[in-house]
Formats: sequence, structure tokens, C-alpha cells
Amino acid sequence: MAAEEIPLVFEFAPAIAVLPALSLVVALFFGEYFPKKGAEAGILATAGSLVLSLIMLATVAGGQTVNHELYTLVLGVSEETFGLHLGILIDPLSALMLTIVSLISFLVHVFSMGYMNDEGETGLPRYYGELGLFTASMLAFVMADNILMAFMFFELVGLASYLLIGFWFRDAGPPSAAKKAFLVTRFGDYFFLVGVVGIFATFFPATSTPGMFAGEHAFPVVAEHALAGEATVNTFGFEPQTWFTILGLLVLGGVIGKSAQFPLHSWLPDAMEGPTPVSALIHAATMVAAGVYLVARMYGFYALSPTALGVIALTGGFTALFAATMGVVKQEIKQVLAYSTISQYGYIMLGLGGGGYVAAVFHLTTHAVFKALLFLGAGSVIIAMHHNENMWDMGGLKEKMPVTYYSFLSGSLALAGIIPFAGFWSKDEVLFETLVHGLGTPTASSTLLLIGYAFGLVAVFFTGFYTFRMVFLTFHGEPRTDTAEDPHGVRWNVKAPLAVLGVLAATVGFINMTPVAELTGAHIEFLHQWLDMAPEEYLTNVHHYTEVLETASHYEAAHISPLAPGAVSLALALGGAGLAYQLYGTAAHPEPHTEKLGSIRTLLMHNYYLDEFQVWLATGVTYRVARAANTFDQGVVDGVVNGVSSVSLFSGSRVRRIQSGVVSNYASLITLSLVLLIAFFGIMGGWF
Amino acid sequence: MAIQVQYYLLLSAAMFCIGLFGILTRRNALLFLMSVELMLNAANVNLVAFSFQYGNITGQVFSLFTMALAAAEVAVGIGIILVLYRNFKDVDVTKAATMRW
Repeated sequence: MAAEEIPLVFEFAPAIAVLPALSLVVALFFGEYFPKKGAEAGILATAGSLVLSLIMLATVAGGQTVNHELYTLVLGVSEETFGLHLGILIDPLSALMLTIVSLISFLVHVFSMGYMNDEGETGLPRYYGELGLFTASMLAFVMADNILMAFMFFELVGLASYLLIGFWFRDAGPPSAAKKAFLVTRFGDYFFLVGVVGIFATFFPATSTPGMFAGEHAFPVVAEHALAGEATVNTFGFEPQTWFTILGLLVLGGVIGKSAQFPLHSWLPDAMEGPTPVSALIHAATMVAAGVYLVARMYGFYALSPTALGVIALTGGFTALFAATMGVVKQEIKQVLAYSTISQYGYIMLGLGGGGYVAAVFHLTTHAVFKALLFLGAGSVIIAMHHNENMWDMGGLKEKMPVTYYSFLSGSLALAGIIPFAGFWSKDEVLFETLVHGLGTPTASSTLLLIGYAFGLVAVFFTGFYTFRMVFLTFHGEPRTDTAEDPHGVRWNVKAPLAVLGVLAATVGFINMTPVAELTGAHIEFLHQWLDMAPEEYLTNVHHYTEVLETASHYEAAHISPLAPGAVSLALALGGAGLAYQLYGTAAHPEPHTEKLGSIRTLLMHNYYLDEFQVWLATGVTYRVARAANTFDQGVVDGVVNGVSSVSLFSGSRVRRIQSGVVSNYASLITLSLVLLIAFFGIMGGWF
Repeated sequence: MAIQVQYYLLLSAAMFCIGLFGILTRRNALLFLMSVELMLNAANVNLVAFSFQYGNITGQVFSLFTMALAAAEVAVGIGIILVLYRNFKDVDVTKAATMRW
């Protein structure tokens, strides 16, 4: 392998993740001695990571990539066992993601100074240390070159988010929300772990590095060869494609848990109990993004299985609509944003399942920007409102906090998918890719794609509605409470991140304007070209994925113009936004219109009673099964053991009677036994 | 004229049986000790008899060792009997049965 001669600049790649890890140590142990209680360390470290990530981005743009082993965990004995190692893979996808993560993390650190330090919170060294851990583990996850390392850091991301959601551990809500987040995502990760072991077991003798993501010896590539009959792998008696589907779905379990897809999404709205900057980090760049990033990372593997893709697309599309409907009735600003996150990650999943790899990565990118913006904006509003999150207590904040308003509006337009803001381009492309593959694919999976598309399209309307309901209730009309009348001011450290992200949310969509490219014939699909730049030998570039989708999953694109579908989704978004304007934007004191929905509203407020259903599953089913198992264990298993022991106890109590303590008895017993023994030997030996 | 070896063995067997009889019937610890000595010396007679029979002196030497060992054993035995007497005011072996089960 040509891993030896790596460009010098990539020697610094590990530092991207190591710097925030150092900030963890510095902030945790020495944070008390800093004037900002450790924020300095975090800001410096993430700024360093951001600079290094940008250098990586430039280097990758210059055509250099790296995929090499860094540290061997277990050395493989040649031919018989495989080795386990940590390594880095910097290709266009991971370089892009590294930049997003370090940028968002940097801005979140700056914002935290306004949200945490200026508000006089305690325990700040712990807070900044945990942010460092969160960032470090996500960055290491992004640059992982094999699935085992990815899994390890995937788990660390989960741990860090558990710690941060439960940051205010003295209150009642956060610890239980943290536990819920941890347990629900762990439930998904359990399947992921089984999938990782399965991948190692499947691809081992076929390749000496069965966990790798990229290159000739990577498991997606070997799987592709196996499907073409050019390689043999252990499929445990299944057809190769069936087995790859099973493996893919196992790994998908972790993705569904982390990316909060139906039915494992319920942890995410509860995670709002954590500090708002943490929510921004979780939703935009780290925890939730980790799931879909994993699918994008091993897309070559999923592309082999039309069933897995169909499941991904359907889950995504359904989640997009399902979460959007719940966002419609929520009263807390962060709750609305939480459901919008679930919904938007549904779109990303829909894009991945629908064969739109570029579209999904595009939406991941734009979503990271505008969702971080919206959360930080919400954080700014929450500071202003003295930590009251109820939108019905706000109103009229537009004049009081113009920077927050305009940047929040930019993010909202992006979220709702209004041209020309970022979300329009990416969401439209996701829907378009799903539609063309749904129409063009001759096999049965086209139905799944079209159903997913329909879900996604309807969700566009709801997205437009709840987004602008939130904007109008928060910023427009007359102030409805005294706090809204006289909000608490925010400082530069809140405004600066908002301004940066506000500009980005308006512009980042220009990196891949497919409809414009179609219309003018200009080559301006920069993201597509960027992701297609991955070296041929990595086999992670877009045209390779397209080829695999065609040969293995029979995905074919119908040739239709992107203009009409784009216009439809734009019209739906505008319709939703317009309805919100009609209901909430015109009056100075808007009516709570959603209450007219009656029982539907109750259903939505209770999140379709899914939490209740899951609690019922736990108490009504799992608990009973566990109790039956306990009875079986106590009665039958322990009964057998106890029975055996009581038999020996009883016989022991009888047999010990011969131990009379009288020496003469012992002597006669010995004599008798000896005589019997001699007689026995005599008879057997034939002495008589 | 030499005595044939089977007579020695008969003598030895008789001594052993007397000792065994003593152990099985007596209750006095001192008589126990004597009976044990009797059985031990029955074995000694055997050793000497076979040694004589095969013309090998080793057996006789070993019987000397056994006698020395028996002396030591008697010393230990009498010590035990003394303790027995001190604890039970008697040397009856059937009385000393308090440590069963």
C-alpha cells in the first residue's frame, strides 16, 4: 500500500481532534484559574481545529488525500487474524465535515461565553471540558478510516452528549433527559455493534483490513466484488445481497438512534433540557449529524442493497413528515426547533436512501449552518427573555434585538426552504433526486422512494408553517409580557456568531445550485464536483457510487427537469409560510389558532403518545417478560440447584451418624472394611 | 535345624490378632496402646522372618528402626492419654466423644 509517502500537511491531521481533547484537560483541571473559566482553551483549540480543517480542505482541493494507519491497537498475525487500528481518512467528504464541525464548535464556544459566563452559571470548567470532549470525539469520528474506530468515537460522542444534556444535574429534568438520550441511542448502538462485528466476520479472510472505509481493501469494495462474484466472503448461508442488507440494517440501527429517526427519535426533544449552545452543537454538527455521516461514509456499502436504501428512504421521509406535524403545535421555541431537526435529518436520510448522495451531504452541510444559527438565535432570545422559552410570552422582539431577528430570519427562510436561502437548494435537491430515482428505477424499491418523496413533499408545507409560526410569535406583533417589553440585552459574543451564521445561511446554498446549473448549462455544482474529486483508488467518489447504485440496486434516474419539482416544493413552502402569516403575522396579538385543532392538537402535543407507548412497552411488556423470566429463574433454575443441594444436605445429615466419636467403633469399621477389601481382592484375584 | 518360616508367620498372625482383639474389646486407653504395640511387633516378626528366609539383612535393620519409631509413638500416645485424663478424669476411650459432628 502507498500509505507510507503521505504529504507533510497530513501529519497535522490528528491535531484537529487532539486540540479539543487538550482543551478538555486544560478547561477541566485549570479552568478555575482562567478569567473565562476555560472558555479560552476551548476557543483556541477549536479555532486551531478550524484553521487546520481549512488547510485540509485546501490540500484536498489541491488533489491530495490521505488514508493511512496511525496507531495499531491489535497487530494481526498474517493470514490468520486481522489487526485493529486507528487511522485517518481525509477525503473530500471528511474534509468538508471536519470544517463544518470545527466551525460550528468554534462559534458555539464563543456563544457560550455570552450564554453561560455572562449569565453567571457555575460549573463552567466542567462545561467547557465536556464541550471539548464532544468536539474532539466528533472530529475523530469524522476522520476515522475504519468502522471500529468510528464506532468507538460514535460512543464517545454519545457519552459527551449525555454529560452535556445533564449539565444542570441538580434540577429534576436534565438528568432524566440525559439518561433517556443515552439509553435510547445506546439501544440503537447495540445493533451497530453487532453490525461491526458482523462486518469483521464477513469480510475477514477476503481482505486483511475488513473494517476500512476507503480503498481497494475496504469492505464496501470487497462487498461489491463479492456481489459480482469476483470475491468470496462469509455470508453465513445467506445470499450475499441479503446478508449485506442485514449488515447494513444492523449498522442503520445506530444511525437511527443517533440521528433521531422514527422510532428512536423521542430522546431529542427531551435533550432540550441541556444548555442551548449544547443543543446547537448536538443538532447541527455533532451527535445527530454523526448518524447520517456514517451512512454517507459507507455509502458504497448501502448502495449495494436496494432494500436497505428503501428502508432508509422510507424511514427518512416518514420521519420528516411525522416530526414536522408535531412541530406545528409546540409552544416552546426550542421544542419547535427540536422537531424541525428530526424532520430535517429525515430529509437527509431520504436523500441518502433515494440515491442522492450529493444532495444528502449538501443538506447535511446547509442544515448544519442554519440549524446552528437557529439554535444560537433561540439562545439569544432565551437570554433576552430571562430563560422563558414559551413563545406565547414573547412577541415584538424584532425592534429590540435586530441582529438576532435578521439572522434568525435568514435561518428560518433557509429552514423553510425559500429561494435563495441555503435550505431551498439542498432540500429541493434531496426531493428531486428521490423523485427522479423513484420514477426511473424499474424495480419495486421505486414505490418506497415515491412514498418517501410524497411524505417529504407534504412535510415541506408543514416546515414552512411551523417555522414562520415560530418567527411571527417570537419577533412580530406586540410584546405579550413585561419581559418581552424590556428584554435583557446580549453582547458581541452572542451577536458575532449569529452574524457569521446568518450570512452563511443565506449563501451556503450557492455551492450546489442544481436547478440553475440545469437552466443555464453552467458548471456550478461545486459540491458535486468536490465530492467527485475523491481519488479513484478510494472508490468513494460520486460517479463510483452512481455506478454501484445502477449495477447493484438498479437505481436509474428519470430525465425530468428540476424546475417543476423545485417550483412545487417552493410553492408548498411559501404556502405554509403564508398560512403562518395569515394566522400569526397580521394581528398585533395573535390568537392561539392551533387550539382549534382540538383532539388532533392534543395528539400532537403528546407526540402521538409515542412516549406513553414506549413506557407501556417497558412496563407492560418488558417488565412482565422480565418478571416471568425472574420467576422461571427463581423457581426452575434455582429450584434445581437448591434441590440438588438439599439432597446432599439431607444425606450428609444421615451419613454423619456413623461418626460416633467412639474410637472402638472406628477401629471395628476399619477392620471390617479391610477384611471386606481383602475378601473382594481375593475373590476378584481368584485366590480361593 | 532351622525353624521353617511359616511358623514365624503363624506367630506373627497370632500376635496381630491378639492386638486387634484388644483394640476392638478394651476401653482403657493404656490397653489400647499396648495392643497397638503388639500389632506393630507382629509386623516386626514378619520382617525378621522374611529377612532370615531370603538371607538379606535389610529387613532386620528395618525392624530396629521400627522399634525406635514405636518407642517414640508410645511417648506421644502416653502424652495424649495424659491430656485425656486431665480433661475427662478417666482413660476410657468411649467417654472422649464430645467432638463428633
